[in-house]
Amino acid sequence: MFPWVHEFRWEIGHLIFTGGFALVLVAILTAITLVFKKVYQIYKRRQVEKILWQATFEDFPSQTRTCRHAISGVLKQRVCNNHFECGACAVHKQLIEHGIPEKVLAAAGDYGNMEIFGLNIPLDRMYHRGHTWVKQDDEGNYLVGLDDFGKRLIGKPEEVVLPEIGSRLYANGTAWKVKRGKADTRILSPVDGEVLETGDDEKGWYLKIKPAADNSDTSHLLKSGKEVKAWFMKELERLQFALASDGIGVSLADGGVLIDDLPKSHPDADWDGVYGEMFLEP
Amino acid sequence: MDKQLIVRGVTRMEFKRFITYLIPWFILLGIGLYAMYLVFRYGLNHTNMDNRFAFGLWIYFDLAIIALGAGAFFTGLLLYVFKRHEFKSVINSAVVIGFICYSGAIAALVVDVGQPLRAWFTLYRPNAHSMLAEVTFCLTLYLFVLAVEYVPIVLKNRKLKQIPSFLVFEFKLHTFMPILAGIGALLSFFHQGSLGGMFGVLNGQPFAFRETVFVFPSTFFLFVLSAIAAGPSFVLLTTWIVSKISGKRVVTKNVFMSLGKISGILLIVYVLFKSIDSLIWLNKTSPAVGFSAADHYGFAPFGIWILSVEIIVLGLIPGLILISKKLRAKTPWLLTGAVLACAGVALNRFVTTIQTLSLPTLPFADFLTYVPTWEEVAIFLMVIAYGVIVYSFSFRYLPLFPQERELNRR
Repeated sequence: MFPWVHEFRWEIGHLIFTGGFALVLVAILTAITLVFKKVYQIYKRRQVEKILWQATFEDFPSQTRTCRHAISGVLKQRVCNNHFECGACAVHKQLIEHGIPEKVLAAAGDYGNMEIFGLNIPLDRMYHRGHTWVKQDDEGNYLVGLDDFGKRLIGKPEEVVLPEIGSRLYANGTAWKVKRGKADTRILSPVDGEVLETGDDEKGWYLKIKPAADNSDTSHLLKSGKEVKAWFMKELERLQFALASDGIGVSLADGGVLIDDLPKSHPDADWDGVYGEMFLEP
Repeated sequence: MDKQLIVRGVTRMEFKRFITYLIPWFILLGIGLYAMYLVFRYGLNHTNMDNRFAFGLWIYFDLAIIALGAGAFFTGLLLYVFKRHEFKSVINSAVVIGFICYSGAIAALVVDVGQPLRAWFTLYRPNAHSMLAEVTFCLTLYLFVLAVEYVPIVLKNRKLKQIPSFLVFEFKLHTFMPILAGIGALLSFFHQGSLGGMFGVLNGQPFAFRETVFVFPSTFFLFVLSAIAAGPSFVLLTTWIVSKISGKRVVTKNVFMSLGKISGILLIVYVLFKSIDSLIWLNKTSPAVGFSAADHYGFAPFGIWILSVEIIVLGLIPGLILISKKLRAKTPWLLTGAVLACAGVALNRFVTTIQTLSLPTLPFADFLTYVPTWEEVAIFLMVIAYGVIVYSFSFRYLPLFPQERELNRR
């Protein structure tokens, strides 16, 4: 069937047969080659963390991917297909241009410093959906910490692995890693930048970051009180679901206060699964 | 270590229990491998096939699992090309099933060719006049496509995806899935068709020989239709079985119902064309070479009942059950429809291979009987055991059903 095999004849039937299969084989091999080429380009352009986040995002259940504007009530219902990258989202851009979120949120009023079910939520900072916060200091650098919800989920960690000073972090990439009991998770970086200093729970922040010159976008972070409150309420609901998964469940009491060290009080819960769900690492 | 490999947030049976459950399957696999050794070492005389009964249990089994494995390419086609997003929740499982079916079929073929070391001749020096040449090329390429489609699922294993380059590769490979799904559909169309066409061109076998539509015998199109009709039912059944064995909800009810509906519609179309084909064959094609219906169906146990069962009991009835919204909404009916649809395609492949070869075609010839040897049965069971083992490991360590975590919350 190949030209160098003696049965082969230069006839239309033989050519179609051989050509057809050769074409299919070439298409498959081209597809695979292109994948390798794209992977190479991703590494060359240092986009690994961005792609890892996009790949991870695909695995989120629809409840986790709820659009911030749906959470805050600006939109009735919407699932994010844009990897929470609001700066590149056409719907977000359109809403902002028309000033719709401000109108809806202003009408509902702002809240100043908030307390929701015992959670302390200062509003002088921006929040990332992976439970970190970002606050700009006087020198223009970012302080990054774990929000109160995240702190109570982890409780007292056995191990915290912080990035080296001088290392580059990417928004939605790994910022640091935490181990608690049999569960471990990575905490997502809310912004792009270079690590200037590392802190700890005592200091109230974990990282001081110099914003990246090529990307200081913070449009994906939650800012207004109403939006932040709605998101925390949604997170409490998600926590309920996560704790109840696979019938191992723990139920959070209605109207109660979230305790300081959840794993300590519910050691039998599937914390590995809960961390995956709440810190966006399925 | 075992727990670190399991998908985050889902639970699986204890490792010891898992291994205990697999032991019988490994024993079957071992017996099959021994039978394989005997056939390779001493030859095909370890089978009951001969020059006249050249297609036996293995070819029947190959044809049946290749038809049932069509669920993989058809689900991929529905999801990636026709954008039926509800099938995203079963595509991984369908790909694994397709991979098992096709790799199992090729494993059986390697034993069946008798001289496996020369198996590559069918690719390098194919017989251009045989439809099997097309089948060989399509099967080989499609197994390659399925392996490429299986890779991203494997790379989503919890431990493997922690290696950044693996996850990046998986993500980018996934963007090519519509192309691979399209190629898979093209290859499947031709090899399913050519497997049927191969029997339809048998001039010397009036039971199998059929009229030509375009350049292909009618069985070419009937094989394609029956495979894409039964494929979704097989995906439905395997998903339901997995759900029952694991005690977990793995997909939503509407996915089961969509699979059932598609299967039902295609089954009705198939039954229509199969009936027309049978009428033309019995009234025109076969009498033209001196064979009446009685000549084909006069040998016990292959009476006319087998044709009626194939078309009505295992074709029309499941088709009607599955297209009825009211009936397919009830799980027992849905499962009945799916089981009958799969049994129908299996019976059709049995009739096409075994009955065709059993019937005499010359006045002095006898009705042939064939009973497989234990080696043939062992290798047949080995392929099933291989499938169970590969699927069990895949279900345990890979995200076959992305909705599982969400669906199993209290």
